[in-house]
Amino acid sequence: MAASVREKQAAALKRMLNFNTSPLKNTAAEPVWKVLIYDRFGQDIISPLLAVKELRDMGITLHLLLHSDRDPIPDVPAIYFVMPTEENIDRICQDLRNQLYESYYLNFISAISRSKLEDIASAALSANAVTQVTKVFDQYLNFITLEDDMFILCNQNKELISYHAINKPDIMDTEMEAIMDTIVDSLFCFFVTLGAVPIIRCPRGNAAEMVAVKLDKKLRENLRDARNSLFTGDNMGAGQFSFQRPLFVLADRNLDLATPLHHTWTYQALIHDVLDFHLNRVSMDESVGSEASPSGARPKKKNKKSYDLTAADKFWQKHKGSPFPEVAESVQEELDTYRAQEDEVKRLKSIMGLEGEDEGPISSISMSDNTAKLTSAVSSLPELLEKKRLIDLHTNVATAVLDHIKSRKLDVYFEYEEKLMSKSTLEKSLLDIISDPDAGTPEDKMRLFLIFYITALQPPSETDLDQYKKALLETGCDLSSLNYIKQWNLFSRVMNSGSQFVMEGVKHLVLKQHNLPVTRILDNLMEMKSNPETDDYRYFDPKMLRGSESSTPRNKNPFQEAIVFVVGGGNYIEYQNLVDYTKAKPGKRVLYGCSELFNAGQFIKQLSSLGQK
Amino acid sequence: MAVDITVLFKASVKTVKTRNKAIGVGFDLPKEEIFKKSRPKHGFSLKAKEVISNITKLKDFLLQHRKDYVNAGSLISSDLTRMTDNERDQIDQDAQIFMRTCSEAIKQLRSEAEKQVIPTQIREHRGAVLDLIEIYLRGVCKLYSEQRAIRVKRVVDKKRLVTEVPENNVSLWEEGQGRVEDELSPEEMQMFEQENQRLVSEMSNLVDEVRQIEGKVVEISRLQEIFAEKVLMQETEIDSIHQLVVGATENVKEGNEDIREAIKNNAGFRVWILFFLVMCSFSLLFLDWYDS
Repeated sequence: MAASVREKQAAALKRMLNFNTSPLKNTAAEPVWKVLIYDRFGQDIISPLLAVKELRDMGITLHLLLHSDRDPIPDVPAIYFVMPTEENIDRICQDLRNQLYESYYLNFISAISRSKLEDIASAALSANAVTQVTKVFDQYLNFITLEDDMFILCNQNKELISYHAINKPDIMDTEMEAIMDTIVDSLFCFFVTLGAVPIIRCPRGNAAEMVAVKLDKKLRENLRDARNSLFTGDNMGAGQFSFQRPLFVLADRNLDLATPLHHTWTYQALIHDVLDFHLNRVSMDESVGSEASPSGARPKKKNKKSYDLTAADKFWQKHKGSPFPEVAESVQEELDTYRAQEDEVKRLKSIMGLEGEDEGPISSISMSDNTAKLTSAVSSLPELLEKKRLIDLHTNVATAVLDHIKSRKLDVYFEYEEKLMSKSTLEKSLLDIISDPDAGTPEDKMRLFLIFYITALQPPSETDLDQYKKALLETGCDLSSLNYIKQWNLFSRVMNSGSQFVMEGVKHLVLKQHNLPVTRILDNLMEMKSNPETDDYRYFDPKMLRGSESSTPRNKNPFQEAIVFVVGGGNYIEYQNLVDYTKAKPGKRVLYGCSELFNAGQFIKQLSSLGQK
Repeated sequence: MAVDITVLFKASVKTVKTRNKAIGVGFDLPKEEIFKKSRPKHGFSLKAKEVISNITKLKDFLLQHRKDYVNAGSLISSDLTRMTDNERDQIDQDAQIFMRTCSEAIKQLRSEAEKQVIPTQIREHRGAVLDLIEIYLRGVCKLYSEQRAIRVKRVVDKKRLVTEVPENNVSLWEEGQGRVEDELSPEEMQMFEQENQRLVSEMSNLVDEVRQIEGKVVEISRLQEIFAEKVLMQETEIDSIHQLVVGATENVKEGNEDIREAIKNNAGFRVWILFFLVMCSFSLLFLDWYDS
């Protein structure tokens, strides 16, 4: 897979926007204008990949939500990019009846059923607009790619497939089926876009296994159907030079509940934890000015600013996984280089004598030099401006994060949790931290305690527990999540031998290079190492003729590519860990995916609601 | 990868049609079709498409004659493909006039669109369409200016080569003269040769300087273009700031007026209240005196 999944998805979108033909490379081509109509799912898919400017370059003059009021623009083709749900189909039929646009190119994010297609057909007939419906496509793009190697399933309606929904005790079979179907549909679209049929490994006995079984079945059916198979011939693409199939590891969130609660120290994960970070967009409050407002005046309004952290932002790409102190230093460095360049340009201005009035003869020797310098300065101005903007952006974001860290003493929590998770000796007792009034919000303390509870080899005694509970209640924490963890813990301790959380601490650096459980499992499976944990995993190969239940892997070679998918939710800490693991092993590529992306706060809320049941 | 299910859609249409026929639901197809066909095309998009087709014609024209214009072959080429300088100038002029008319047309369309009362979405759409057309025009203009720059360079190069040719003629002529006039002393010949050399070096110096200046002029013109663009951008911004400031002054003036009126009303109101209270007290006194 030479191109990352992000590039493939972006290329597929661009193709779609070009009326489903390949985009021409000719720069001076005639502009053809079109209107893009999407629903919320489509919006979430497009927004991390294409900026508004790129849409404009492709000739999209307007981009509108499907369910908004739209005026008729009678002589413009319209491209629809929607999910084939009932209400969307109704709205499309309504549009056809109202004759809003000249021609319609319908693209459905996942496959549309025959009956719904007939609904559209009948609406088109009644509006006599059949000729206007120029093309109908199934795009198979029902997943959101956030980074080159990270994807999530969906942002809208994520409560339906959240950890809470999958693990609640009173879940009905039909609900479970529906959730599994949604997840499998998105994963299927993902593999179609990737153009590869993976080998599936999953643990036994939980949601991940169900997903694996269904996915295997769906892939198998599609491969058998030789006429319509999506994995053959030109669909595989010219870039399919890998002779190996990728490994697809399905993991369940229940395998490791400590990691989402962990306080983190890397830039991207911190932003996700501390600020409001969705689909690569940070929004935060920015207070206007820090001068004291005179009494009696209205308080200064806090602006809400939002920034996009994209792949084009080089600083972000370089530092999103670095620990926070490094990031602060790098921002300072960038600022210094920028200032130096700015000074260069200013110095040029004074040499040219623009500030003085001497228009007299300027020596010709410096003249030729200056013209060249001026040209280079002028052409580098846009770059400089862009750099300044990025530096400002990162300074603001880093400052906001730093404020949070300082007020909540997140560094203390981080160190303590690292020690807990690596089983080294604790300097301060847990009780001290919990009862410390200015070390973090109640949520932070709850997280710390939950990690302690989860990672402890034996459950703490009743008296200890009561002590902790009292201390926690005093600081105002909500204990319902603890109830849930207790239940889960009992359940899981019965199932496993409890050796899941031994971390391989390597050195005592500030940020140790240890592997989280998910990374360890991936390592074992990719390198075909034998480990009691992963030997029990089931093995599925959709390409094999006989659907077998055998769990003996046929392929003895280590895999070069892997896709890790966590059912029930994931976060940036695991992603970062996988990225670090991949960096250490050149030649291997790992993609990370999860059914939803939550930070610790959201996860605690889900645990609380589960514990209250 | 996307799957084209247009065929499936058309099949569904047929199914629905047959199903409707079976049920007996009919549509007035013929009437509707005629009605639909006579739907007028909107004026805006017609004009916009016209402008685009014009620009495309210009682009095709430029590309077609590009080879001849640039004359990438040697100096001595066949007469069939060679263009005279006059023709080239003609092309330049025509292209410039054309580009000017196109940008005028775009501006006109824009002002028309502003004046019309149309819903916001269509307005936005038209603005974006005009932007796209402008970008297209700019691309084509770039083509043209590139061609022109190449031509200017070639002319300069040609002139350079041409100046070197007459030197040979001079020396030949000199030799011819020497053969005719045998009495010319060798010193005079030497003197003539030295002068020759001097003239040659002077000429080549001049030519070098001219070439350098030419290069600088080209660079300066490019810079000037960039600056002009930036200044124009700033102009629009300054205009908008100016508007805002004027609006703000008006608002502040009105605000002052309103405050003055409010004060007056307040004062007037107070006077009335006082008057009312005084009247009430007088009436009380009067009633009291009346009663006693």
